[in-house]
Amino acid sequence: MWQVRPANPDDLQQILDIAGSQSARLSSTLPNTETALAEKIAQSQSDLASQSKDNRPRRLLFVLENTDTGQIAGTAGIDTRAGNGQPFYNYRRDYLIHASHQLNVSRRVEVLYPSHALTDLTLLCAFTLRPELRETPAFELLSRARILFIASHRDWFSNRIVSEIQGVQHNDGSVPFWDSLGRHFFNMDFETADRHSGQLSKTFIAELMPPNPVYVTLLSEPAQAALGEPHPLTQPNYSLLQREGFQTGCYLDIFDGGPVLEARTDSLKTLVTSQQKTLHGSEGPDGETCLISAGEGAGFRCLLTPVAETLADDVKVPVSTWRALNCNAGDPVRISPL
Amino acid sequence: MLVIRPLQETDLDDLYGMAEKAGKGLTTLPADRGLLQRKIERTRESFNQRCAPEAGLYLFALEDTVTARVVGISGIEARVGLEEVFYNYRLSVTVNASRELGVHVRTPTLHLSNDMTDTTEICSLLLAGDYQGGGNGLLLSRCRFMFLDEFRKHFSEKVFAEMRGVSDPQGRSPLWDALGSKFFDMEFVQADTLSGLGNKSFIAELMPKYPIYLPMLPDVARAVIGMVHDNTRPALKMLQAEGFNFNGLVDIFDGGPLVEAFVSNIRTVRESINRHAMVINKPIDLDVPPEHRVMICNRSFRDFRVTTLPIDCIGPDVVRIPHDVAEALLVESGDPVRLAPLKEGALSPMHPLRGQADEDEKILDRLRNYRSRHAQD
Repeated sequence: MWQVRPANPDDLQQILDIAGSQSARLSSTLPNTETALAEKIAQSQSDLASQSKDNRPRRLLFVLENTDTGQIAGTAGIDTRAGNGQPFYNYRRDYLIHASHQLNVSRRVEVLYPSHALTDLTLLCAFTLRPELRETPAFELLSRARILFIASHRDWFSNRIVSEIQGVQHNDGSVPFWDSLGRHFFNMDFETADRHSGQLSKTFIAELMPPNPVYVTLLSEPAQAALGEPHPLTQPNYSLLQREGFQTGCYLDIFDGGPVLEARTDSLKTLVTSQQKTLHGSEGPDGETCLISAGEGAGFRCLLTPVAETLADDVKVPVSTWRALNCNAGDPVRISPL
Repeated sequence: MLVIRPLQETDLDDLYGMAEKAGKGLTTLPADRGLLQRKIERTRESFNQRCAPEAGLYLFALEDTVTARVVGISGIEARVGLEEVFYNYRLSVTVNASRELGVHVRTPTLHLSNDMTDTTEICSLLLAGDYQGGGNGLLLSRCRFMFLDEFRKHFSEKVFAEMRGVSDPQGRSPLWDALGSKFFDMEFVQADTLSGLGNKSFIAELMPKYPIYLPMLPDVARAVIGMVHDNTRPALKMLQAEGFNFNGLVDIFDGGPLVEAFVSNIRTVRESINRHAMVINKPIDLDVPPEHRVMICNRSFRDFRVTTLPIDCIGPDVVRIPHDVAEALLVESGDPVRLAPLKEGALSPMHPLRGQADEDEKILDRLRNYRSRHAQD
């Protein structure tokens, strides 16, 4: 049975394996060195343990675990405050009209403005999954479990939520947007910058990023074509987030020009359709498969289960699900249809 | 004889003919009758002091007194950027550095600027092809510095010149193709012509206002920033010899450099001297090589005149001027005149004895002989 739970230090080695694999290059917010990853797990644990309702930035990391084998097959993270107390960098893609009455010319000029506007919004990040699971319900479980977590800890999160989607990268590893813009200023290749971004404080971005707006027309043609385009590998994740209610706005990743998806937290489909129920036992594995979550903070669990609903605010689920959720009859759970 | 004088209404045909022959390169003098007519009118108002000093446009004509035709023109714009907006790019550097990563990157950047606003520009130099050489170009260009020097209160302390940037024989500019064309939707020649015709507001409306980072431009475009067109190289050399230097600004269209100098530091100004005219009836051979000639001007604002004279005419107090030259300069005996070197590295009126070193040696020799004879006695 697949289950999503908060990461703990024992998962370190298995997460490292995933982070090191090529297919996991979907987010730079998952560090791929042991020290940095251990730190991230430790921070997630301490952030989950603190039950206070303050707005301080929390960085949470969840794992997808096969409860039968103990194998870790994916990770998913939430930063409650993008930037984690530091500026969060994006480009805002905007337009100016350059018009001359005298010449009867009007021209739309596209400009990329450095922006911190998304700082302090909730950020979905660090999503990785073993490639063989991409087409399975486990994929949906891993991604949407985070939104059930948000639903049960709503105070921790902001009203708007964003997610960065990886942009275009060619098979030889080159990133057209980076090569046309960032490379000139950071004086390093994309991999290096990306690694620094995952590990170092963001100060280096402030120090090295071009301080003024950039005219899109001066970018190379491949770079212009890559603006706001998701990497083909991210397509399943991209579609899933769109179904959740995320939309592309005008923000782009500063490194690869990939799109930033935005949504109102309270309009997320999983959050709207999920319901708080009381747990009861059922005889057999009958009913519709749903996501079910329970527990607070470090005790949070989310898995897929057949649900037999009764008319009252009760749900009947198999006893194996109870065990996985660490719950007893009468405990509150949250369910959402798959 | 070639004489510099203020441009007149009657010069329109000659001027139009010259502008037509010059073709596309000369944006300040397009072959447009109406525009040239207006320029002449402005020039007349300026020399007659019927307009505000800062609105002045002083165009000088080089007239061949034999044919009574205008064969060259040069000008001074008293102040730029007062009515329209005067744009340049400033070539500067953006540094991004991170101590943490040991990265220190210098990015050359073009910033749009109006820094030359309210500054005097020397402009519109054009000399007919069959008159080029023999120091005529020098006279046409340098006469302006004599005027600037004489009437400094009409001009700014600093003067500048825009040098034509690189373009190919078809009139294509690499910088325009990489930058301007992305915003203007027109050919370089067309934009340049519009700009020369005085329709400058379109520049403000269509121009990119944010800094341009040069690494984002192709190499061919970057290579021409601050470079002059091959045809303009002699003019640049001449101005450099006068003390003009690149001031870090370039043309927004073709990337040609701006050179500037303080009037008081211009060589022609520093090396000029005052004398009184002594009109003589004895003819003088005026046909000497430019190395042996100096510029001479009268001191009149309205009827400013400049021509050249052999350097031998300069005396300690007066300068001997043949009758016909005096007539062309509108001076009479006793009038103050000003003299300045024509060609760099040649004789200067400030050191008129330099060429007479042999004479001095002869005098010393005579002295030595005299002494030795007396010693024998």
